[in-house]
Amino acid sequence: MIKFKDVNKWFGSLHVLQNINVHVKPGEVVVICGPSGSGKSTLIRCINRLEKFQDGELHVDGMPLHNYSINLTKLRAEIGFVFQQFHLYPHMTALENVTLAPIHVRKIKKKEAKEIGMEKLVRVGLGDKASSYPDQLSGGQQQRVAIARGLAMSPKILLFDEPTSALDPEMIGEVLDVMIKLVDEGMTMCVVTHEMGFARQVAHRVIFMDEGEIIETEKPDQFFDNPQTERAALFISKILTH
Amino acid sequence: MIAYYFQRLIEIFPFFLKGLWMTVIVSCLGLIFGTIFGFIMGVLRSQKIRLFNWPIGIFVSVIRGTPFVVQIFIVFFIFPEWGIQLNAISAAVLALTILGTAFICEIVAGGIKAVPKGQWEASASSGLSIVKQLRLVIIPQALRTILPPLVGQYVLLIKDSSVVSVIGVVELTRVGWLTVVRIPEGLMVFSLVGILYFVISYPLIRLSNGLEKKLSVGQISL
Ligand SMILES: Nc1ncnc2c1ncn2[C@@H]1O[C@H](COP(=O)(O)OP(=O)(O)OP(=O)(O)O)[C@@H](O)[C@H]1O
Ligand SMILES: [Mg+2]
Repeated sequence: MIKFKDVNKWFGSLHVLQNINVHVKPGEVVVICGPSGSGKSTLIRCINRLEKFQDGELHVDGMPLHNYSINLTKLRAEIGFVFQQFHLYPHMTALENVTLAPIHVRKIKKKEAKEIGMEKLVRVGLGDKASSYPDQLSGGQQQRVAIARGLAMSPKILLFDEPTSALDPEMIGEVLDVMIKLVDEGMTMCVVTHEMGFARQVAHRVIFMDEGEIIETEKPDQFFDNPQTERAALFISKILTH
Repeated sequence: MIAYYFQRLIEIFPFFLKGLWMTVIVSCLGLIFGTIFGFIMGVLRSQKIRLFNWPIGIFVSVIRGTPFVVQIFIVFFIFPEWGIQLNAISAAVLALTILGTAFICEIVAGGIKAVPKGQWEASASSGLSIVKQLRLVIIPQALRTILPPLVGQYVLLIKDSSVVSVIGVVELTRVGWLTVVRIPEGLMVFSLVGILYFVISYPLIRLSNGLEKKLSVGQISL
């Protein structure tokens, strides 16, 4: 479903992604972690082409992203992206946020899109907030609307970039619960997160990055209990004491 | 004597209304076209496309850096030398359009740049084309920043339209000049001219202030 082969990326002279090789199969849940600046965001942003890379091959849902002439709309319609800062559209209600892409990208009729949108909002536990604007919602609620927005396109892949890092501690649980439900439904997911509990509970693999490189790829329990490298061990001890 | 001139002024008041009408027509056309082209250019300018950015930057600087009276002379006297024949009214509308375009371009580009990058990324991620990202997500938010100074710019354009009297368009200011010749009470005549400008500008000033207040607090759905 997602296949990185020797991908390299530079920001100017900064080598942010170094020989990345990752293969994510359908239905797989991969957690990506690592210190700040290690290239986690850059890595998952390559998957929906928010970032370009200079070298290597990347296939997503059968599309070759190393060819610059791919149909971006078609690619992105199949991939939901959830941001750390939610990025809901502030001038639209929760329901309008969710139905925008179905109406304007999938060309679904408004009425039908609303039904789909309501269904997704109910799924993230916000059926009663359909007509609220983002600034009337808590952080956790906004992030759940953002997840519903991603789901409304019935994507094949969902990408999360630190979905709980901007949230007050008491709201993290409600967002993780929604994500765990999605895992149970068989969604293919790449999640940048430091939530160890989430990783242990649902991830099939943990990828540990440092300075643009993938240092370890392990099953979660193996990774957290018995890291193979010193860098990973140091990182784990840091998030544990946090 | 004053009373007599006042009497005369009232007699020729319809002439002032005609001038006012011309001012309204010329500046309305200028600001409508200026808004259209200004939005197009402003959107292009906000996109950092080198092909557009550079010429638009020069255009804006030149227009902002030269007096409007010079611009209108160039449009009226120099364009015909290049084979573009314009009557005074068309020249006035064209010059006002160019002026409006330059200023509105900057207002629009600034408003678009003020929309957080995350809004572009979120809308792009959901598969919307660039045009739809702009139309559905970016511009509606940018309008909050754009509208108050845009309406303020309309007021400036209406006042700047007085300059087109120099090429003989019989608008409000020109009517003032023509009247002073017959009624040598400058204060009285130009007070009337000023009042009439104020009558059309004031509602816009109120609108601009109102928009500023309304758009800066709370939620509005556009
Ligand atoms: N647009 C950009 N231009 C130049 N350098 C960038 C850009 N975006 C990111 N970088 C740099 O690339 C490196 C990797 O950034 P990235 O955001 O992928 O890290 P990250 O692992 O997601 O970090 P964090 O945990 O802080 O989010 C960092 O050193 C960052 O400063
Ligand atoms: Mg990041």
